[in-house]
Amino acid sequence: MANFSVNTDLLDGDVRVLHVAGDVDFDAAPQFKRQITSRIDAGERRIVVDLSQVTFIDSTAIGVLIAAIRRLEAAGGSLSLACANDEVRGIFEAVGLENVVPLHQRTEDACAALAIA
Amino acid sequence: MTPAATAATAATQDLPLVDLRLPALPSELKGARDTVSAAAADFGLDAKRRYEFVFAVNEAVTNAIKHGSPDTDGAVGVLVHARGDVLVCTVTDCGPFRPRVAPPRPDGDGGRGIPFMTALSDSFDLLVEVGRTTVRLTKNRSAETPAPRV
Repeated sequence: MANFSVNTDLLDGDVRVLHVAGDVDFDAAPQFKRQITSRIDAGERRIVVDLSQVTFIDSTAIGVLIAAIRRLEAAGGSLSLACANDEVRGIFEAVGLENVVPLHQRTEDACAALAIA
Repeated sequence: MTPAATAATAATQDLPLVDLRLPALPSELKGARDTVSAAAADFGLDAKRRYEFVFAVNEAVTNAIKHGSPDTDGAVGVLVHARGDVLVCTVTDCGPFRPRVAPPRPDGDGGRGIPFMTALSDSFDLLVEVGRTTVRLTKNRSAETPAPRV
């Protein structure tokens, strides 16, 4: 967890934005998962995860995101992702995830996607 | 040897770039990624291919760390060598690999990253032996010139 961090905003009263930075690998995964699940446990239902400052993300972290998306959808909520980082986008595209889990360019776009969901 | 034979020999000799033995601790991942990334840069992988290669290697090392016990000295081995235009990474650990045979758990944990490793490398081999698991990943120097399988 050498350089992993999460900063958070609350937009429009009920959209939780999590700005993730650094390496989100197996070492950081428990903390990353807690950041998301604690919000859902607290009743938050509209979450944007901003990955633009992420320098590395592994399949564990991607699994955490997918699980959170499914959990929120089952609870009538929504989670969307923002990521302008080309390297991270490249990974999602290489494994065909960008159709399953769209990566919006900007946080504003990810927030707008929540409203539609 | 004739010049052609000499060149052919040079192309198939293995040039070792990285030889690490790591404890099976998650905190070791970052250092391993940095070392492998530097070797991949020296080898000449461009930024995108280097990122893909490091991602795949990280998956293999992560699995090795998950299998190993933290108190076993040098439980995880990471070797990177170059053979001609192919960069080869071999990750070994001391535990048995457990392929996921059950459906993915609802909380999303437990994936082995195999779809990522196969999508992001040019070849992926998994060898499971009693007491040892080996993953071998390769990445060609360039996407335009696929090298023969080594």
